[in-house]
Amino acid sequence: MSVSATYDVVVIGGGHNGLTAAATLAKKGKSVCVIEKAEAFGGMAREVAHLLYNLHPKVARELGLGALNEGKPLSTISLAEDGNHVEISGDTVRFADGAAHPDAAAYAEMIRRLKKFAGVLGQLSTKTPPKLDGGLTSLATLGELAGLAKMGLDLKRLGKKDMNEFLRVILTNAYDLVLDEMPDGPLAGALCADAVRGNFVGPRSPGTVFNLMYRLGQGGDVRLPKGGMIAVARAFEDAARKAGVDLRAGQGVTRVLIENDTVNGVELEDGTVINTRAVLSSAAPKATMEMAGIEHFDVEAARRMRHMRCKGSVAKLTLTLKDAPSIKGLSWDQMKSRFLIAPSAAAVERSFNPVKYNELPTAPVIEAVIPTLSDVEVASDGRHILSANIQHVPHTPEGGWDDAKRRHVINTVVAQLETHMPGLAALVESPDLLTPADIEARTGAPGGHWHHAEMGVDQILTVRPVNGMAHYRFAIGGLYLCGAAAHPGGDVTGLPGRNSALQLLKDGVLS
Amino acid sequence: MGQHDTYDAIIAGAGHNGLTTACYLAKAGLKVLIVEKNDWIGGASVSRSLHDGWTYSNCSYVCSLLRREIVRDLELPRFGLQVIPYEGGASFTPDGDYFAYYSDHDALRREMFRHSPADVDAYERFSQTVIRQCRFIRPFLLRNAPDPSSLRPRDLNELLFLLKKAHGLGAKELGETLRFWTMSIGDFLDEHFENDLIKAHIAGAGIIGTGLGVYSPGTAYVLLHHYMGDVDGAIGAWGFARGGMGAIANALGACFEEAGGTIVTGSGVDQFLVKDGKTVGVALENGDTYQAPIVASNMDVKRTFLNHTETKHLPEDFTRAVKRFKIRGSSGKLNIALDSLPEFPAAPKGSPFLRGDMHCSQSLNELERAYDDWKEGHWSKDPYFDMLIPSQIDPTLAPPGKHMMTVFVQYAPYDLEVNGVRSGENWNDETRKAFADCVFDKIEVAMPDIRKHVLHAEIRTPWDIEKEVGLTEGNIFQGELTFDQLLFNRPVPGYAQYRTPIDGMYLVGSSAHPGGGVMAAPGANAAREILRNIGKGDLMPKHAA
Repeated sequence: MSVSATYDVVVIGGGHNGLTAAATLAKKGKSVCVIEKAEAFGGMAREVAHLLYNLHPKVARELGLGALNEGKPLSTISLAEDGNHVEISGDTVRFADGAAHPDAAAYAEMIRRLKKFAGVLGQLSTKTPPKLDGGLTSLATLGELAGLAKMGLDLKRLGKKDMNEFLRVILTNAYDLVLDEMPDGPLAGALCADAVRGNFVGPRSPGTVFNLMYRLGQGGDVRLPKGGMIAVARAFEDAARKAGVDLRAGQGVTRVLIENDTVNGVELEDGTVINTRAVLSSAAPKATMEMAGIEHFDVEAARRMRHMRCKGSVAKLTLTLKDAPSIKGLSWDQMKSRFLIAPSAAAVERSFNPVKYNELPTAPVIEAVIPTLSDVEVASDGRHILSANIQHVPHTPEGGWDDAKRRHVINTVVAQLETHMPGLAALVESPDLLTPADIEARTGAPGGHWHHAEMGVDQILTVRPVNGMAHYRFAIGGLYLCGAAAHPGGDVTGLPGRNSALQLLKDGVLS
Repeated sequence: MGQHDTYDAIIAGAGHNGLTTACYLAKAGLKVLIVEKNDWIGGASVSRSLHDGWTYSNCSYVCSLLRREIVRDLELPRFGLQVIPYEGGASFTPDGDYFAYYSDHDALRREMFRHSPADVDAYERFSQTVIRQCRFIRPFLLRNAPDPSSLRPRDLNELLFLLKKAHGLGAKELGETLRFWTMSIGDFLDEHFENDLIKAHIAGAGIIGTGLGVYSPGTAYVLLHHYMGDVDGAIGAWGFARGGMGAIANALGACFEEAGGTIVTGSGVDQFLVKDGKTVGVALENGDTYQAPIVASNMDVKRTFLNHTETKHLPEDFTRAVKRFKIRGSSGKLNIALDSLPEFPAAPKGSPFLRGDMHCSQSLNELERAYDDWKEGHWSKDPYFDMLIPSQIDPTLAPPGKHMMTVFVQYAPYDLEVNGVRSGENWNDETRKAFADCVFDKIEVAMPDIRKHVLHAEIRTPWDIEKEVGLTEGNIFQGELTFDQLLFNRPVPGYAQYRTPIDGMYLVGSSAHPGGGVMAAPGANAAREILRNIGKGDLMPKHAA
């Protein structure tokens, strides 16, 4: 056992949250090392995400990533079975052929309200979630409660009508919220699809309005940065490197070394030991617990961790195409949009049914984009890439994944796309399917879940990832969570990493 | 035109909540009239003889939620109310076994051990959590819901009460409470138990009466709603009202009449009469009108304001909120006259659990699939049911040696889908029979010869329940028990305190806080509000919080 180096902080996992945490600490003068198991940095932001949204402006500013949030957002086109596709750009909705949409006003009003609510909730996202013990009398927790009190005040400031509405919808389901305002169809379907994205829910599940607000946290704009998500991953990596972080890829951490209930190092796959006073883990909470040794946790913590809900249900399909596909009635420019196949709210709910029983999808919700149309650098030799996220694919179907089942999923998705893009099947050269199981294997995300832990109302804020462990501190002195399973949750926001780093500094572990 | 009498207060609808409000008001000295559209009283807390010699409680069928404070205030036992607890229940399996639920703790542990040793310990944790949540919620049932958007001292006081209670839980319990109130019963049970049959047995209480599945977030609360009652102080216990659920309504009715109240049956309210924003009385379908400065509606919020009140008297926002209030029919019911007690080949003869609630659901996934059918407008092909033979305990319900069986079925849609069209009109004798056959097929899991014993069966769909009882879509709770429709959101944000936009008009039914079930709490809370508003608040009996 050789000690190879000593750092103030070791960050486990070089996903965007790990990199953000590392950069944040390095900028405060700490010596930091990031250990990434895979060969490349970026984690799910690189492997799974195909569009950028929700990157928090504070993170972007602090890390110098502002350029990622610039450029024109993509519009969304919700594909309709009858060819009357609906185009959504920001708050405006029209048919793809330019005709006015009858529900445009209702849509604009709903989005305006949800964004307003998201703004009120959003202020909790940049802080450690309020702690509930110690209560109203303890000075230590008053600071954290102040955040909550401020939110209460801001709620009051919304006015009675909006506050009532906020308290009514906050825990409710997207299906009812949307269909109360407009008839079912591709526009309602698009809203419901965005409300379930990445989570193991259907639009009828209570709590999906919260998911929709979360997604609208930074206005809901969707961007395809130049160079694709690989460039996004690289930007985070460069920011960390520039801040002075040591980056080590290709080898994972096998153990977190603990002495006297305090972290004192990590051991890598080849037995190398790195000494450190603090470990921030962006790995899954349960995996982190296992690295540290389950004997350091009380029975209840272990039980809660085992029951954390993290059933991944999104697969990613990348199709390499001989030529660019087209959709009848859409211009070349419109082909650069984000496409949704979510013909109705009812269809989105139906898409959710099979996955509940670990069955393969029959008509899944699909989000697709053809990045090569917007970004010539991504395309090579005239080929194009169509990237699709398939909502509601089981982690492991009955009997496990095999070629026939993979083929079935690919064929189902291609056939669905083909109804809108005639001739697509003939253009496909090599389909590449990442099931939730593949995503878990490749990135370590528990259950292959987009957000590492289901973003249900019972797993957010003070109970994220589990009750009693919501403040980044992870039971052992100097051990912290900094991944998407920690508050505020998933998406390429950078916030869990940033908040966790700030909490570590605040706790004085390093002083 | 017939009658034109004047009263201090008029209650529209003689359901258990309307009767409760009426009792409190009459006991406070008001001259009170109840008008009821049916020829009988009780609403959904009713028992009628629909087959010669048998008494069917053809809507609600078991009792637990009825608040004991109300029973005491109104001295209901003096008017004949007697609730007899039953001792457990069972879930039968197709392979001839069963899981029995005993009220005896040791017997239950032994039975659980037979199915899954690990679940014995899990059950202790599970019941601790549920009991703790029951203790937490029970004090809120007979109080107004706090209104966080109001600055009136009384509302702030209610909010403070909530905060104090929440703070009193401590951080860990508060975290657990937040989770419990927002999670699904399926996830909650998966966290505790391993055995599918045990999970399915318990999960039923999380979906009864709702348009949600066992894995829909929020159903753990629905379970709580079914556990927070008590029989003689035994929290979570359920019992039979002797003589059927109608005995509750009859006791309330007798109490009301003793206090000098008047009940007029046979004609429902056609219009709530409003003048200059103030309520002035009601006009009945038969042309009679009655005047009163206070009118309370026991009908659900949709029926009250969308069918029987002129829209011009209501703010536009309010009407819109009432329109989007979710009242979804999801339950059906069979009331069956049996020539004798059917055979239960799986169970030892005379087993106590046969006198309790019986089910034939095998797993949470089976229950979730039952929900999937309902979403598409079909009755569940493999339904959940809650089945009891109360005549084993209460012999007044059937002739000697014969029995009455009640089967509550989840899920059955209100707007049945046939050939692509969803409509309540699709419920006819043919579809009703097909629905009942589907249920009987599954009952055969427990009682293979059930069909031979049936003398008469009343088949009730949500459509029928709406037509007869007047509950919109046949929803047994007068509105879904989801968070957007609970507490200060029930029925409409800003009007959660039994008042309505019309001066002098009140909502006293289950559409109001704390919601459905034969609890009578909305009725009692509304009476407190009414008396307070007319300066007679001190005439309302006080309850310990």
